[in-house]
Amino acid sequence: MASILQFIANGLVFSSIIVLGSIGLSLVYSIADFANFAHGDTMTIGAYGALVTFGLVGGVGGTFLGLPLGFYIALVVGMGLAAVVAVITHVFVYRPLSTTSIGLLITSIGVAFVYRAGLQAIFGTDFRNYDVPRSGPLPFIQDSLGIAVTARGLAIVVLAAILVAGTHALLQYTTLGRKMRAMADNPDLARVSGIRTKRVILATWVIGSALAAAGGVFLGLFSQIDPRIGFDLLLIIFAAVILGGIGSVYGAMLGGFLIGMIHELTPLLKDVGIPIGIQYAPAVAFVIMVVVLLARPRGIAGELT
Amino acid sequence: MSRVLDVQSVDSGYGDVQVLDDLSLHLDEGEIACLVGPNGAGKSTVLKTVFGMLEPWTGSVMLGGRNIGGMAPEEIVRIGVGYVPQTENVFGSLTIDENLRMGGVARGDDLDPVIEELYDRFPILTEKKKAKARTLSGGQRQVLAFARALVMEPDVLLIDEPSAGLAPNTAAEVFEDVQTVNELGTSILMVEQNAREGLGISDRGYVLDQGTVEFEGDADSLLDDPEVSELYLGGGTRH
Repeated sequence: MASILQFIANGLVFSSIIVLGSIGLSLVYSIADFANFAHGDTMTIGAYGALVTFGLVGGVGGTFLGLPLGFYIALVVGMGLAAVVAVITHVFVYRPLSTTSIGLLITSIGVAFVYRAGLQAIFGTDFRNYDVPRSGPLPFIQDSLGIAVTARGLAIVVLAAILVAGTHALLQYTTLGRKMRAMADNPDLARVSGIRTKRVILATWVIGSALAAAGGVFLGLFSQIDPRIGFDLLLIIFAAVILGGIGSVYGAMLGGFLIGMIHELTPLLKDVGIPIGIQYAPAVAFVIMVVVLLARPRGIAGELT
Repeated sequence: MSRVLDVQSVDSGYGDVQVLDDLSLHLDEGEIACLVGPNGAGKSTVLKTVFGMLEPWTGSVMLGGRNIGGMAPEEIVRIGVGYVPQTENVFGSLTIDENLRMGGVARGDDLDPVIEELYDRFPILTEKKKAKARTLSGGQRQVLAFARALVMEPDVLLIDEPSAGLAPNTAAEVFEDVQTVNELGTSILMVEQNAREGLGISDRGYVLDQGTVEFEGDADSLLDDPEVSELYLGGGTRH
């Protein structure tokens, strides 16, 4: 039982990262109208942005949720950097192209290569770490539940939950959020209603990329940073978004949560006689996605938006 | 009477497929003008060209003294023109209230008074404020589509086939709503497949065929014209 709880706890941390990546991918898909293959590398940009910033401000005193305050400054800078890069890419690459969704998709693969090459040229291919002190399992969780959860693991889950709640509040209760939902629903009617869609698309890039960057920073905190971390996660994030129902932000949250969980719970399969390890986790996640799509072709939340 | 909208010698179409051919028509202040004609005559294309969904290839679209041909729809909304598309004219995943708020994004002032007024005028919407628009019936949806466009209090309203897909009694209610909106001071240019009903509530009419105006005049005289009746109103006499 404790072992199942342990896997669930690990799953929550991984899910948090996948959810943050999924929201942006789904937002951009529904409003800018294409599957953005540079989204994973946008996460990586956020991770490196935070890495450099943390190197400069890591000494800022105090901690919150067990992480130094400098880390939060680095997180915000990483999110901002990714948003700026995404907006520049949109304005100078995607927007001027009058091509189809497929044309934009292929273009975004090229953009992904450029992002990654840029990071590699600056930082090399070595693994890097945030210089955040590692700590052991939190005693109060270990004592009460008998599982090992680190402070950084808990912080990732809490911060991701705050960002998800913030996204929800933005979408439901602000004029910008309503405009974004209106555009995802019916872009022509949005313009007919007087929504200046260019601005909403820019805001979508900012929000989606900043969330992705937060995911990238957490991923770097959870494991390590190298120029491929975001790209390596991209297909899993696509699986999450499609499982949830592509274009639906809430579907992406749900799909991200489920895919992240399935991914981390894979080792439990050996308890029911299916001896496969964590290295097969992406395959298992995809198989489950396909099975769900066979039953619900438009994804779990396919018609809810 | 002054012309609020004046379409002059417009060619227009989709891609390189021409639909409108040297089309001219106008809308007088305070009137309802109805465009009728067979399928594919270009009726909806006229509205889309006026509203900036399509750019006129030649000719001009004058609103007041200004040529708005080719201006973007989100900007045309801001200078007093509203448009109710024929289909997909509500945001299905948004609530009724959110649909109305979207209708007013271009207003700089507080939306609440004008939206409250619309709820008073269309009580059916009040009952369903918090419901998603996709749960509405066809007639209710059409009312919401109107109301969304009216949040801007436009001087000119373009309406594409308000009766499409509605049962006859529901269509009659929608036509009544069109008249009410007009009586409150909005000039209306309406496309209507149901030509007799459409002309029945209009001041003037245009009969379009193959992208150009074949007949124009008072709605009554068009309804009484034997040639128009024979060719475009399915024959028979007026009832």
